[in-house]
Amino acid sequence: MSGQHNDDHGHDHDHPHAEVGATGRPGYYDMLETAVRELLIEKKYFSAGEIRRQIEVLDSRTTALGGKVVAKAWADPEFKKRLLANGRAACEELGISFYDDTQLIVLENTDRVHNLIVCTLCSCYPRPVLGLPPDWYKAKPYRARAVSEPRAVLAEFGTTIPDAVEVRVHDSTAMVRYLVLPMRPAGTDGFTEAQLAELVTRDAMIGVIPANNPEGARV
Amino acid sequence: MTDTAHLVTRLPNDIGGLEAGKIERTDHTLEPWEKRCHALADVLDFHKILNTEEKRCGVEALGAEMVGKLSYYERWIVAFSNILFRKGILTPTEVALKMQEIEKRWDAQADGPERVI
Repeated sequence: MSGQHNDDHGHDHDHPHAEVGATGRPGYYDMLETAVRELLIEKKYFSAGEIRRQIEVLDSRTTALGGKVVAKAWADPEFKKRLLANGRAACEELGISFYDDTQLIVLENTDRVHNLIVCTLCSCYPRPVLGLPPDWYKAKPYRARAVSEPRAVLAEFGTTIPDAVEVRVHDSTAMVRYLVLPMRPAGTDGFTEAQLAELVTRDAMIGVIPANNPEGARV
Repeated sequence: MTDTAHLVTRLPNDIGGLEAGKIERTDHTLEPWEKRCHALADVLDFHKILNTEEKRCGVEALGAEMVGKLSYYERWIVAFSNILFRKGILTPTEVALKMQEIEKRWDAQADGPERVI
């Protein structure tokens, strides 16, 4: 996991951003958002409560949900079958609601196939199960290169896929989203689903790294 | 190929397969207005006012310079505004006046306005 946080806003250009902080005065785009939202509420297209509710929904979606899905698939072969057959229905079985109209295709990594997800056109991502994507997923280098030189991209994440293993890159769309089911790490026999879930990271479900091994999880 | 053909064959969002630099593992916690912007997009989608493809297309329609220079949610809110203008749901004048009102509201309160959200 990168664990890196900085002030880059997910785009590869140097430019000043709307003023934030010093005076606390809202910047241009902040005011534009407020204006559009308030006007639409005044015109009764929706209520302020709906926006607040959706902010709560967004806040409720984290990588932990995806981790739960993966751990369940590792521990329960019947669930895994259902998950691979219909990702959305299987996630809903676990109580994970899809707040949008998207379908979810879950891609199983094996010792013969490694899957990687990207959205070349913008930022489509399995938000209901992973939350919002990291900035690098939305930025040009990943979007541009993942489809043409996936092995080089994986190497930048420290992941080397043997030549004998096929790398498949899946380009997301507005309606179809993907989630990678990483390989279950060795040495996890007898692990509970909760213990397994701790080994599953966001980046593993994007497909840029494998799941953590048990030692890594204790760090 | 003329030297402008790439402008026709590749719209600004269509970058899959292009050469690009090293992947910097960047991320940031959304600012409050960015999160509100995201929620606004979702709510507009729920009400069938604006769907994902319209949003993407609206960003692309900003043109290469704005796509290149604005941040992710800056592009979104500008694209949403343009789409809402085109659909006749909002007018540029209404938005301009509302922004003036928001600015005055802010300036009227020394400590800043109480955020609604």
